[in-house]
Order: sequence, then C-alpha cells, then structure tokens
Amino acid sequence: MTDARILDRSYRSYDGPRSGVIGAMRTVTLHSMRHALGIKRRHGAKVFPVLTILLAYVPAVVFVGMVALFKDFAIRENALPTYAEYFGFISAAIFIFSSFVTPELPCPDRRSGLLGMYLASPLDRNTYLVSKAAAVTAIMSILTIGPLLLMMLSYTILGQGPDSPLHWLITLLRIIAGGLCVAGLHTSLSFAIASTTTRKAAASAVTILVIVGSAGIANVLVFGADQSVYIQLFNFLRLPFESVLRIFGERTQSNDRRGIRLNEIPAAVTIGANVAWTFAFAAFVWLRYRKIQVTR
Amino acid sequence: MSGNHAPGPYDRGHMSADTIISGQGVVKRWGSTTALDGASFTVQRGVTGLLGANGAGKTTLLGMLLGLHRPDEGALQVFGLDPMTAGAAVRERLGYSPEHHVLPSDVQAFDLVRHIAELHGLPRRDATNRASDALYAVGLGEERFRPIGTMSTGQKQRVKLAQAIAHDPQLVLLDEPTDGLDPMQRDQMLELIRRCALEFGIDVLLSSHLLEEVERVCDAVVILGGGHVVANAPLGELQATRDAYLLDVDGDVVAVVRGLEQRLLSVSREGTKLIIEVIDDAQLDTIRDVMADVGAGIRRLERRRRSLEDVFLELLEERHTAIGAQ
Repeated sequence: MTDARILDRSYRSYDGPRSGVIGAMRTVTLHSMRHALGIKRRHGAKVFPVLTILLAYVPAVVFVGMVALFKDFAIRENALPTYAEYFGFISAAIFIFSSFVTPELPCPDRRSGLLGMYLASPLDRNTYLVSKAAAVTAIMSILTIGPLLLMMLSYTILGQGPDSPLHWLITLLRIIAGGLCVAGLHTSLSFAIASTTTRKAAASAVTILVIVGSAGIANVLVFGADQSVYIQLFNFLRLPFESVLRIFGERTQSNDRRGIRLNEIPAAVTIGANVAWTFAFAAFVWLRYRKIQVTR
Repeated sequence: MSGNHAPGPYDRGHMSADTIISGQGVVKRWGSTTALDGASFTVQRGVTGLLGANGAGKTTLLGMLLGLHRPDEGALQVFGLDPMTAGAAVRERLGYSPEHHVLPSDVQAFDLVRHIAELHGLPRRDATNRASDALYAVGLGEERFRPIGTMSTGQKQRVKLAQAIAHDPQLVLLDEPTDGLDPMQRDQMLELIRRCALEFGIDVLLSSHLLEEVERVCDAVVILGGGHVVANAPLGELQATRDAYLLDVDGDVVAVVRGLEQRLLSVSREGTKLIIEVIDDAQLDTIRDVMADVGAGIRRLERRRRSLEDVFLELLEERHTAIGAQ
C-alpha cells in the first residue's frame, strides 16, 4: 500500500447515458412540482401549497369520519355531499392554487432568465410548456381528484361505497374526468394570464380579477338583466363546477330561479364549453411562448 | 466569405474535419432591423472569439446556434446538424451561459447546476456528482450551497460557467462572460475559459465586445460588423498578415512619409515615429531605400505586432469604405 492521496478531483468527461427530451421533460415537471409545493424553499413559499392541501383534504377526512361514526343512512344522505358536490368544497383550494401558486411556475423562469437556459437544453418551447403544464395539472389533480379518491376508497372500505364494481368504476372515471375538467380550465387560464407578465403578483391579481370578474358580470347579466343563460359559459368560477355536476349526471339545485335557469344549458354544451376554454387558453399560451424572445 | 461580398484575405470560412459550426449566407431580420446580413463563417475546435460591437448580431447568432431563431435565409450547422430541425440533439451537446446576470435568487448554486445537468440528460446521481465537480472547477466548491442571490457578480458568472460545463458538453457558448467583473475577476474568468479548452477538452465560442480578452484566450475569431462577417481566421494569422513596423526617423520626416507613400506603403505618423504596414520583406528594403534617398537616419526600427483592436478597427473601416464605394 502507498500513502497516495487524491488532491484534486478535477473535471472529468462524461460518457454515460443521456435521457434526451423525455428525461428533460421529466426533470422540469418534477422540479416544477417541488417548486410549486414549496419543497426546499423558504417557509413563506410553503404557505399557499399547505393551505390549499388542507382546504382540499380536511373536509374529505371529516366526511369519512362522519360515515365511520354515523351508520344511519338518513344522516349520511342529508349531511354528506355527493362526489360532484364535494368539488364545491374544494373550490376555495382550487381558486387559491390557480391564483397564487400556478404563476410561480412560468413567471420566474422568464423573469430570471432560466427560460433561456431551459431552451438551451434538449427542450424546446413546446416540450417546456407541456412539462410545466403537466406539473401544474398533476398538483391540481392532487387537489381535485385526490380528496374524492380518498372519500371513495374510505367509503368502500367502510362498506358505504358504490353498489357494484361497474358503478365503482363509473364513479372513478367520473371523479377523474371531473377533476381534469376543473384542473384543466384553471391551469390553462392561470397559465394564459401568467404568460403575459413576468411578475407573479401581477399574474395572481389578474387571475383573481378574471375569475371573480367573469362570475360577477355573468351573474349580473343572466340573473339581474335577464340576458341569455348561455352567458354563464363565460363564468370561469362556475363553469368547471357546473361541468362536474353534468359529468356526474347531476343538476344544479333547482329550488330557486337561478338553478332552474342554469339547468337550461345542456350538459354537452357545458362540458364542451369547459373543454373549449381549456384549449383556447392553452393555444393562447402556446402562441405567447412562440413569440417570446429568449435571446436577441 | 460573407454571402454578399467577395472573399477577403482574412476569410477562412472553409470546412474541415475540425469544423464544429458553419454558416452560409445567414440572414436574420427583426422587423425592419437586419441583425445578420448574409453571414458566412466556420468555427473550428478550440476557443473562438465572436467579436463585434454592441448590436452587431452576436447574441442573435448564439440564439440561432441554439435553434431558438430560424434564419430568414441561408444555412447554419452545428456539429453537422441543423439546429432548427435537430435542435434537441444539438443542444444536448451544447452548454450555454447567457449574458444576463439575473438568476433565481433563492436557489442554491449547487441545485441550479445539478438541475441544468439533469436537463441535459444526466441521471440524478451523475448530475449530483458533476455539479459539485463543476463548481469546484470554477472555484466555487466551498460556496456551492449558497443561494445565488447572496453571491457577487463574479461568483454568479462562475455559476453560469459551471452550469454550462457540468453536463460535459462538446461546445460551450459564452455570452459576455466577463461582463460586470473587476480586472482580477476577469483574469480569473479568462483563465477558466482557457482551461475549459485545454484541460476539459470543451470547445468554446466566446461572444464579447472586449477585444483584449478575446486576444488573450482565443485561437481564432469571427468578427461581425453591420450584420456581416468582417473576418474569420485564426488569431495569429489575422495579426501576422497585418504586421507593422515602427520607424523612428532622424531627419526630414515629411519627406520620408512622402517617399514611402509614393512607393504605395501605408503609413501613419506620430511625431517622428511612423507606423508602416508591411506585408513582406521586400517592403523592408523599400523603407531602407527611401531613408537612403531622403538622407534621413534611423533611430529605431522595430516590428510592432498589431493588436486585435488595430485589426478590428481597420477591418471595420475597410468595410465601411467598401459600403460607401458601393
């Protein structure tokens, strides 16, 4: 044996495998998810993600507890929301997430110049956008689909789930479709707004304004000025939740005039409008990023 | 050389086995502004300087090499591939250090470098090891876990270099890597860039408007002026072909200048000192003959190696003259 020591590791060449575009997309998606959830970031960055997760899951845990405690069918039927109605409970979480967390992903990349570094990797503008959208949609799905899956699985374990395997499968598909409907529209809308500015705060403010403003204007026109009920298709606060109701084959509570009017819109039109808006906002983002000059 | 003018003496725009980048008649317009106007050039292995005044089209060209902008006309190849159609394959083998200093402030240098290495396809374990190695290589080993926002401009420039080389690229594109550095930091950065080529085996395309630093580290240059390639040659060749002699005259300086100019030599005068452009040894005989004819003495005659700045300014002047003549 000699007493040789390594004094300098120096720079070495790399001849190992490279994962190409798919690997780069996976890297961006996972990195963005960690970033959005505030992982390895300062405490302030964890506030909104933790808040949204609590808002989304706490009601589900409470309802599961109620099912476990109260075996009385009548209590369950009257006190517990349906799967579709549960989306209403998590609307605050979704609203907070799309307003405050989603702009965290695209805005700083452009502001800090990281976008240039991303586009100097195997990624191009399209694969970058898909990776970012996948990250947001995945987290949004954790908020929209996760609590309902928790409820359904818990109900099933407690013997209170869907009646048959087929019914169980249909409910599962409806939960996923409903979750994607809500996640897709909110993701694409907040991304579209975030693509117009590099400032997170401005993107958050405009997102809130657009969502709340569209709801206010649509409600005033439809229910105040008695205009066409189809104006509600421009209500970005209500549209995704109406779509979820239609996916579950339910209708808005029709014991008031508003509910009756909303039910005039066919399910296909409601869901179609939700999907159309999602693609329209996604197309806007795509066009914006095509024109962004990274270097010049 | 450039697509719209005849090849000049400083054009070495030919392809060889060592060619890593080639452009033929590249045109790029931004609205009514023409950033590149028929640029043709080649870049060989080693360290190549991309020179030009601000707004000469350097950053546009770097963006095109990365496949971020499509040429309006002409063809561009990196490693023999078109960056627009084979962008991912090209960029996987490229490192890029952008000009701006703004990096995510709350991210640790190590995390950023590892992330960029992973983006270029390295598995997490290798990216982790190489991020540390790259940060050590640029002298930030002890600082690697500091948030970038707390770092000095010099350290940020090093972080940018580290992220550009961490995935072991074949070529790195460095856009103004010494911008904002003090003289000592600049020396260290230039030393690092030189090491990239000599020790790490990474070819470098260094975009800069600082001629002195290009002169210090580069093997060859591509000089852009007004959207054209004004020169594209090894640095030594470019300077050697433009050698000049300093002649300190003891006698009638005006008569000597007149005599030299009559014999078609290019002369500039500073008091009794003349700077004479000499292309071959026969012209030295001409100088001797003129001095003898005038009856002036020689206090000093010495070869004066021209700086890149001299060459650069002359080439741009020639370019402007040629445009004016057209």
